[in-house]
Amino acid sequence: MRIPATYKLCFFLILFIAAVLIACNKYDTGYSNPDDEWRNGGKQTVFDQSSKAFGHPFPSLSETLKRVHEVGDIQFEATFVSAPAPVNPGLGPIFNNVGCASCHIGDGRGKVPGAGETSVLMLFRISRAGNDPHGGPNPVPGYGDQLQNRANIGIQKEGDVSITYHDETFYFDDGAPYNLRFPTYTVTNTYTAFPTDVMLSPRVAAPVFGLGLLEAVSDADILSRADEKDNDGDGISGKPNYVWNFTTNSTTLGRFGWKANQPSLLQQVAAAYNQDIGITNSIFPKESTIGQPQYDGLSDDPELSDSILYSVEFYVKTLAVPGRRNVNEPMVQQGKQLFTSAGCDKCHTPTMRTAVNVTFPDVSNQLIHPYTDMLLHDMGDSLADHRPDFLATGNEWRTAPLWGIGLTQKVNGHNNFLHDGRARSLMEAILWHGGEALNARNKVKAMTSDERNALIKFLESL
Amino acid sequence: MLKLKYLLLWLSIGIVTIFSCTKDDNNGEVDITALNTEILQHTASNVCAASYEDLSAKAGQLLTAVNTLNTTTNDANLNACRDLWKSIRQTWEKSEAWLFGPVDVDKIDPRIDTWPVDFNDLNTVLASSDELNEEYIASLNEDHDALRGFHPIEYLLWGQNGGKTASELTVREKEYLLALAQNLKTLADEVKTSWTGGYANLLATAGTSGNSEYPSRKVAFEIIVDAMAGICDEVANGKIKDPFDAQNPKLEESPFAKNSITDFTNNIIGIMEIYQGNFAEDGKGLEDLVRAYNLSLDNEIKTKHGTAIAALKAITVPFGEAILTKQTQVQTAMDKINDLATTLEEKLKPFVQQYGN
Repeated sequence: MRIPATYKLCFFLILFIAAVLIACNKYDTGYSNPDDEWRNGGKQTVFDQSSKAFGHPFPSLSETLKRVHEVGDIQFEATFVSAPAPVNPGLGPIFNNVGCASCHIGDGRGKVPGAGETSVLMLFRISRAGNDPHGGPNPVPGYGDQLQNRANIGIQKEGDVSITYHDETFYFDDGAPYNLRFPTYTVTNTYTAFPTDVMLSPRVAAPVFGLGLLEAVSDADILSRADEKDNDGDGISGKPNYVWNFTTNSTTLGRFGWKANQPSLLQQVAAAYNQDIGITNSIFPKESTIGQPQYDGLSDDPELSDSILYSVEFYVKTLAVPGRRNVNEPMVQQGKQLFTSAGCDKCHTPTMRTAVNVTFPDVSNQLIHPYTDMLLHDMGDSLADHRPDFLATGNEWRTAPLWGIGLTQKVNGHNNFLHDGRARSLMEAILWHGGEALNARNKVKAMTSDERNALIKFLESL
Repeated sequence: MLKLKYLLLWLSIGIVTIFSCTKDDNNGEVDITALNTEILQHTASNVCAASYEDLSAKAGQLLTAVNTLNTTTNDANLNACRDLWKSIRQTWEKSEAWLFGPVDVDKIDPRIDTWPVDFNDLNTVLASSDELNEEYIASLNEDHDALRGFHPIEYLLWGQNGGKTASELTVREKEYLLALAQNLKTLADEVKTSWTGGYANLLATAGTSGNSEYPSRKVAFEIIVDAMAGICDEVANGKIKDPFDAQNPKLEESPFAKNSITDFTNNIIGIMEIYQGNFAEDGKGLEDLVRAYNLSLDNEIKTKHGTAIAALKAITVPFGEAILTKQTQVQTAMDKINDLATTLEEKLKPFVQQYGN
């Protein structure tokens, strides 16, 4: 029998279409887009590995919103001066720094001061035993809950903190030595008697990019990873902090800060203006010096307009995440496997998805790789600040996001990590991990030097 | 079955395809590695480092002039100081087109060019009984950048409204002015030494093994282009746009000397100087790489740059006034600078990513 040419053609056409369909078929189960791994911030990822890497707006912002971001950027960079003044008034009377970008240089991480330098890129939270009316830290009379170590000319600063370190040597399992430096903090030059029972918590300025995406992860998603009583018995708890929210006047989930003690970016920004720079605003309208002799007595509060406050909140909300480098290098791939096999990923959660958000589509439904679960974990006695902050105990810290961490040297010119910058390299930061992370830390200690290098290469690729 | 004539046809199509897809890697006789190395060497030493040497030399001249003003306080000596301030400011503003490296990382920029001036603190300082000398300025540490650098000097030389006469300079102001001039010289020396003492070499040897600052020449070129585009953005969307949008002359950056438009123009001139490798002396610049591969891009950059400069020069009154009375002129200047930025970001950046090896 002879098959007509038309049928033959049809047959081949069908075969061809079927082949194309099979070739293009996407495996849904466990499938991940090969590009996805490069894009830590989902569609809000920017590929720039220069010193400006942390300072880009979300690529998807509309022209109008980009302008709001730029307005916020300018304010973030602004230098404040003492009031009254025609431009940027309200600095002080006591403060930690003169503007946002003075600590968050390049939107990045603060450095600990070298010998003899004032601590300008880090600050100290202080409190005494007990709680404030909202369950937060109990402020120190005459000082509040933050030590302001700088002041306008002619005004007394609250005091200084001197930092000394001593090194101790430890050994990897293969016998290779490493040093860790142990900090000691001493409050000096206080303007008035400083109580002896004050708890002191050092905090370096944290990077500020990608925060809008972290804010866009739903409470439920974060809580789904919580395991406060360690019911699954893996040695890792994961505890949510609940903190006072000044905009809702209620207790809500804490998300930001080294101890997850800020519920929202707006409150984080407003608190920083008030406490770090001495700028009053609608959320924190009282000078940090109220009741202290440094109080300026000016009736100019709030010193910051809401439009500036909100534009700066929007600025940090819409800073893009730097894309990864060298993802496909064999060593980086090996490091990634080691990261997982050591169990680092149990707290440094590699992947999350932001909630659907119809009012702000730029952060909606994004697959992101922040490497944090945004929960508190006991990190052991060596790292503890022994100062509770809402539900966070003195041993607990929020898992720090690792995205962009490999660009710290490039953007900020140093490799100081952890809440007080004591670690001088990524490896030192790992080796400081204790408490719930002790198991993972010990696995790293047991690695060969090649494996340790691969692990660091992986972190540097983030 | 294919007939011979079709075979011939397919063969010729194949050959043509293969040949047309072969990229001419040599592009004439350009040795791209040697050229790029030479460009980076010249840019590092004769543009960037040279600008900070110039800054340091001019800071020295200003210091001498302030000393003269303090011993013989008259309007002629005051004017000499003002001219030198404008001259050093010219160098600084040009160098903002290559604001990367030590000036950024070592925080020279905030110490030398913080704005605004803190009048209250300055008045407190002048009214105090503290001895005002360079040690005093240094002791301000980073706490009070708003009390040192270009703008407090500008404020003391010109006064709030720009009309100060020498006889109005108080003894305390002169003391503080001298201390500021000494501090400016120290800062200028610091950034100069950082460049000449090592950083210029890092840039010049980009891509050699062990150079972690510039692991490849491409990274170096990207940073240069980012800085060029960055200053456009800063001028058009910050320095000009902020006071313009707010319709507030108080937000102007150099209000006392009424030097803002000159500042902006020098910022943009700096872009062409680093592009052409022509600050202290003409030599190989990014221009030479672009001209080797893409003449029309070179032409576009120069045309848009020229248009942006012309638009700034076309502003006929001081900036603080122009944002109120000459809004079309100001808007045009912003537009033309943004045009230039677009070319740098969207064409020159991809170009160096392709050819900056």
